[in-house]
Amino acid sequence: MSASAEHHDDPGHGIAHVATIKTLLATGTTLLFLTLLTVLATRVDFGANINLAVAMVIAVTKATLVVLFFMHLRYDRLFHTVVFVSALCAASLFVGFTLMDTSQYQHTNIWDPSVPPPAPVGWHPTG
Amino acid sequence: MSDAKHDDHGGHDHGDDHGHGHGSQSRFIQHHYDDAQHQFDSGKFGIWLFLAQEVLFFSALFVAYVLYRVHHPEIYSYAHKWLDVKYGATNTAVLIFSSLTAAWAVRAAQLGQRRLLILCLATTIVCACAFLCIKYVEYHHKWKEQALFGHLFDPCVTPGGEELITKKNHCDGTKSSVDYDMAADKPTSGCFEISKLDLDPNRVGIQADCQVTEVQISKDSKGKDVEGASRPITDRCDDELVDLLEKIEGGGHAGDVPTHETAGAESADEKAHHQKFPCWRPSYQPAVCQDLTDSAKRAQGQGSKPTAGILVEYGDDEVHRDVKIKATCKAPATVAPVADPMADKANVLAEGVKAVDPAREISTHEEFELESLGPPPEHTSMFLTIYFAMTGLHGIHVFVGIIVFIWLLRRAIRGDFTPDYFGPVDFSALYWHIVDLIWIFLFPLLYLIH
Repeated sequence: MSASAEHHDDPGHGIAHVATIKTLLATGTTLLFLTLLTVLATRVDFGANINLAVAMVIAVTKATLVVLFFMHLRYDRLFHTVVFVSALCAASLFVGFTLMDTSQYQHTNIWDPSVPPPAPVGWHPTG
Repeated sequence: MSDAKHDDHGGHDHGDDHGHGHGSQSRFIQHHYDDAQHQFDSGKFGIWLFLAQEVLFFSALFVAYVLYRVHHPEIYSYAHKWLDVKYGATNTAVLIFSSLTAAWAVRAAQLGQRRLLILCLATTIVCACAFLCIKYVEYHHKWKEQALFGHLFDPCVTPGGEELITKKNHCDGTKSSVDYDMAADKPTSGCFEISKLDLDPNRVGIQADCQVTEVQISKDSKGKDVEGASRPITDRCDDELVDLLEKIEGGGHAGDVPTHETAGAESADEKAHHQKFPCWRPSYQPAVCQDLTDSAKRAQGQGSKPTAGILVEYGDDEVHRDVKIKATCKAPATVAPVADPMADKANVLAEGVKAVDPAREISTHEEFELESLGPPPEHTSMFLTIYFAMTGLHGIHVFVGIIVFIWLLRRAIRGDFTPDYFGPVDFSALYWHIVDLIWIFLFPLLYLIH
């Protein structure tokens, strides 16, 4: 509780955690490096899906670094993590459920008027 | 501010801030909180709730993005080339650096380093402004190219740089525009006869069949009047695309490729070739313009047949050539209904067997390269709509961030922030990190599509 201005890197600052300069610079440098990496990764052809996966893995890594160190979540109250992670869960639910739903009705879309839509799987019109 | 206004001790003496030592703590500690810690924790909880809301707020747009990408991957692989990775990557770096300075500002505020705090806040503001400036340059390019959202989508060029026939003749220095009367919803000049042309971009296929009957260049490149001169027509289809397709096929049958010089009445071979390699998907290109280089050839019945995707240069703002084109158009031939593929038992298309058997597989990269030379596939405007919606909303957040950080800077200069009162710096920095976080996802999703 008695943190003084002299103890610059004291993580036990009275009110909240103080990030060390080392942590800040290391996080920033890693983020810039990962940005370069993700740009270079698109120049290599791994196939569309793997390229997307690589880009997303890098993006999630970057986001995690930002949240843990720049946003101090690693040293913050657990409850703040709970709040934030539940928002992310809700967001992924939105995406997941919407996709499930629209894929369900894909066969009813007529993309090419000359081709009749295929009969839905597991459902047969009566009469 | 608080009723309990006390002298600001610069925060050097905050040892008893857990008690009710009002005499020694920042004057910004409100009296309804127990102490500085209580006030800070309440604020921090509030900002985390706000950030959770921000995630949900943006997730709606991510749903739109993912949904459209799953159902129309071709639009994304085509249209993302309108975006410049250089700008996107620079902006990512700028934003990450500003996040670093924002995080450092929090540290400086916590430790009472006022000058460093001011420096960090100022750097963050400068970076945020730089971000918006780069964004402006990008948006301006899109505006110039008419690669815009919704009904404004009327691109002058394909992502591969090929000129397109547009509805509005607002493309500077582009040679292939059609004058289009938006009020009447009709083209007024170009290689079309107005009444016959259907410019519905949602309709697949060739929508008008135009025969150019006359070309006249009334002014040459020096602005002098000339008479009776004709000029060659840009025929992208033959020059570049078919060459590339030939190369990919691996055959050395350059002679078989019908160019606008050689194409007469199509032989069966050539017809087969065209069917194998349609120049490009004629889904947007609204009309077809005949080759008009050699009227003599056409007089003998040897003029080339209209092919999808041929563009006609007919006006060149840059060199002040004034080219007039007269054409007659007829409605496109009605497409014969697709016969039941099962009727012809000998030629049944077997599932899993390719109709075209190329010498080698086309790589994904080559495939996209080919596509980007052609006109946009249907609904391409949706990519740009999503792009503008996502980057626009993000840009608004950056703008709000600038205002917040200017407010912080003002307070920092005034010396409001002390080691027991730095909440506003911390909370604003958290907001700024979320803005950075969203851009970290937007950048690969919009700019780095493979």
